[in-house]
Amino acid sequence: MLIGIDVGGTFTDGVLLDNFTVKEWVKVRTEEDLTRSIQEVLNYLLEHIAPETIERLVLSTTLITNLLAQKKYEPAGLLLLPGPGTNPHHLSLPGEFVILKGAIDYRGRVIEPVDLKEVEEAAGYLLSRGLKRIIVACKFSQRNNTLEKQVVRHLQHKYPDLKVKASFETSGLLNWVRRINATYYTLAVEEACHHFLSHVSHTLEQIGLKCPVYIMKADGGTIPLDLSRKYPLEAIFSGPAASTLGGLACTSPDITSVVMDMGGTTTDLALVLKGKPLLSSKGAAIAGFPTPVRALAVASLPIGGDTPLVVNNRQLAFGQRKGPALCLGGPELTLTDILVYLGYSSLGQKETIAPFVHDLADRLELSPRETAERALDLLISLLEEALTHMCKTWEEEPAYRVWQVMADKGTRPRTLICLGGPAEGIGQLWAKKREWQVIVPSYAKIANAIGAALACTTLNLDFVADTENLVFYTSIGGKQGTLERPLRTLDEARAFALSLLKEMKGDWQSHELERVEPLYAEGFNIVREWRTRGKIYQIGLQTPPGILGTVKEV
Amino acid sequence: MEKTGLIFFPAFDWAISPTHPEREERLLYTRDQIFEEGIIDHPKIMEYKPRLAEETDIQRVHFCVPDVKSQTTTAHLISAGSTLKLADALMNGEIHNGFALVRPPGHHAMRVVHGNRGFCNINNEAILVEYLRRKYKIKKVAIVDTDVHHGDGTQDIFYHDPDVLFISFHQDGRTLYPGSGFVEEAGGPGAYLTTINIPLPPGTGDKGLLKVWREIIKPALEAFQPEIIINSAGQDNHFTDPLANMKVSAQGYAQLTAELKPHLAVLEGGYAIETALPYVNLGILLALAQEDFSWVKEPGCHSGQLAQSQEVDRYVDKIIHYWQSKLAGKRPDKEQLFGPDKKYVRQRSIYYDTDQIYEQQTETVEYCPDCQGLYTVSSQAAKHSGKNYKIWGLSIPYHACPSCVQKGYDLWEKRIGLFGYHIFYLQDKSRDVYLTRK
Repeated sequence: MLIGIDVGGTFTDGVLLDNFTVKEWVKVRTEEDLTRSIQEVLNYLLEHIAPETIERLVLSTTLITNLLAQKKYEPAGLLLLPGPGTNPHHLSLPGEFVILKGAIDYRGRVIEPVDLKEVEEAAGYLLSRGLKRIIVACKFSQRNNTLEKQVVRHLQHKYPDLKVKASFETSGLLNWVRRINATYYTLAVEEACHHFLSHVSHTLEQIGLKCPVYIMKADGGTIPLDLSRKYPLEAIFSGPAASTLGGLACTSPDITSVVMDMGGTTTDLALVLKGKPLLSSKGAAIAGFPTPVRALAVASLPIGGDTPLVVNNRQLAFGQRKGPALCLGGPELTLTDILVYLGYSSLGQKETIAPFVHDLADRLELSPRETAERALDLLISLLEEALTHMCKTWEEEPAYRVWQVMADKGTRPRTLICLGGPAEGIGQLWAKKREWQVIVPSYAKIANAIGAALACTTLNLDFVADTENLVFYTSIGGKQGTLERPLRTLDEARAFALSLLKEMKGDWQSHELERVEPLYAEGFNIVREWRTRGKIYQIGLQTPPGILGTVKEV
Repeated sequence: MEKTGLIFFPAFDWAISPTHPEREERLLYTRDQIFEEGIIDHPKIMEYKPRLAEETDIQRVHFCVPDVKSQTTTAHLISAGSTLKLADALMNGEIHNGFALVRPPGHHAMRVVHGNRGFCNINNEAILVEYLRRKYKIKKVAIVDTDVHHGDGTQDIFYHDPDVLFISFHQDGRTLYPGSGFVEEAGGPGAYLTTINIPLPPGTGDKGLLKVWREIIKPALEAFQPEIIINSAGQDNHFTDPLANMKVSAQGYAQLTAELKPHLAVLEGGYAIETALPYVNLGILLALAQEDFSWVKEPGCHSGQLAQSQEVDRYVDKIIHYWQSKLAGKRPDKEQLFGPDKKYVRQRSIYYDTDQIYEQQTETVEYCPDCQGLYTVSSQAAKHSGKNYKIWGLSIPYHACPSCVQKGYDLWEKRIGLFGYHIFYLQDKSRDVYLTRK
């Protein structure tokens, strides 16, 4: 049996699946101490079940997202080794930084050595500013980490109490600004994440759960709990990923659709193309700072069932949430109330809402019905605008190869999967106004937990080898190494990359190597003075996000 | 915020041949440098997806022998199409300038295309100019070619076009491919002095380059008043280029770009793929985005080694003097230039280095007091495959007067089917009609 738990901002949802059938589900309020909510959910789900029968538990939590949003972390200083390029003083980074000597070029060659005296002075300055944590980031450290390692070693020797982190461990992808940001935030949440995960492990032990435990990632995959201590950022924005997979799990495995999850205050839109959730091309941003963390392409709108209707310059507009819907005892007329008023929802009584709609209508000099319809039209058009933008971004994703330019991106989805509280009403409305196929799964309210329960492990490897210099580098944990023999053909390089992925598989407790798909594979002849000196290979492999199977509808 | 559009199309799956300078590896390190900088996330830079140019876009410029399809691969269409996509973004106000960092290049491709010359099949900048004219009614365009090789293809295409100012500085044709681009090549009789060639001696550095820009090119642009400036942004004046002998640095190129302020820059040549391209391309991109480029420096480069000799100084001064007095002088009358026959005729042979083709051609331009006049070309080339094509082409200019249009169609009717020719082309830019008869 499988368990999925989604710890959200307001509610924590849990589900117990037995052979793709929902056996139990539960929704509890999220407490300040998240582990207590997890415990409560597990106690309920396991009330009549022996813990030994559970094969897997997947947790999706907002912990890291919240820590970062609330800035509950200690700031860090940055030591940067930029080398030639853009002016580093103009960078916009989350922490105070000092520019140092030392540079690596695009092929991993040291083009300027580090000046250790300068490093010491810079660290001394950051310490004098009250900073106790330091990030070391060198451009192209993913191709040669020696300079970063040298600086870190020196600092650890000189200042044993200082917490130091090198950027090469965070990401092996190109884009040092994203790598700096990710390293900064990794260091920021590392301890809290560690603490939380230990707490969770302890709780699970008490309950007697011994099955493998995974944390949901932003890209819709899962990461083993122990490994997630090393990559805490992977867990950010896992909520939308869980509901997207949930939408998929509650319908059919090869559907092309939009998954819309509408909560009280926000609505998330995600694209699923032939059963595969669309990944964002660049990576998630934290507090406006871009990172390389792979995430699903999710559009989040600050509109939900609790969004109140206001009049702005005599125009109908959406305001900020003040509380729940009128029909649920809240203070103001909300979108949920409008759905009730027009008969799209049975959450409340039309009569109690009517006076408020009339009042609004008077201020707009419209009839009450027109007012209500205009509110929903506004909602639909905002959702549609976000969707169109998303589709366009996907269609207009930059392409660097002929085949990518020529690739058929297929037609835009015409199916909407509605999840969350007001889902049913919105679904009916969308079906009527836009003539789409609309699906409101029977488990729409706990689809996020189902998505977590059924999420596959995702692995992603970007591999580069330079046979002239006999080196290789990967995107995982900054793994770099020496090639023992030159890879002569693209096939040999591919086999080598696959063997690296297999090594990782153990750590990631993934049993899904048969799902490995190539993202790209190319070989470049290194030609100098008309002689071929070697080859550069670039290979991308992944097990894509997906689900173990679909749940049976009731 | 004013944005700079970028289309980066390194064509990682396209090469002329595995070890040819135009191979997959060419922009690999440029990709590494630009992506590692994180500049793609910069709020001032908008990255666009490339698109394909259409057959008509190419016919507006070229007579492709025997047809467009056999002269272009998909990569060529994408490279040309990328410039058009940026043109759209520029014209609809999304961006204030743009950089098509694309390959394959195009500036050696002439009006008649029998094959690949100087790594080029179709002329990206010329296709861009005709597109801007047709779609956006742009009248005056300037093309500044900063590649080390003379942009002979672009010159050829606009040689008789008074609305396109073509300026090229390059290593002197006596010392480098394609062996042209001398000061005497200054435009046809109807477009005299809208072609400006500035041949520079080997060893010219940043100093000479910027001096030529400030003292010849800049005033010429100011006098011409183009609506759009296009930069053929070749990068092989770089001091490390393996195919040329100049001493320009990434700083020199970036400074020039910052002052030239092209609306659209299009990558041309540049084959120092490690030592120059990552830095020069970054420098150009930063200059376009009006960002500081002072940190863009080639590793191990000392300003001392890039100083140009006094001999070069003297030569640069001489050519500046030549052009300053030429452009300040009285422009000769068009009718006079056409001569007593009222007709310009030029016979020449053209060598296609990449494809080893010799083309023999005869061009004529008719004098017309009201417009640019009709252009015809008769061309013959034996291909290495043994296939021999003889073609005849007629071009009616974009701003043709009604009588020249009529004359053009009469001539077309008379010529098609003439014995000895395999293919006839009609290029009516005034009505955007392109016909081929075999």
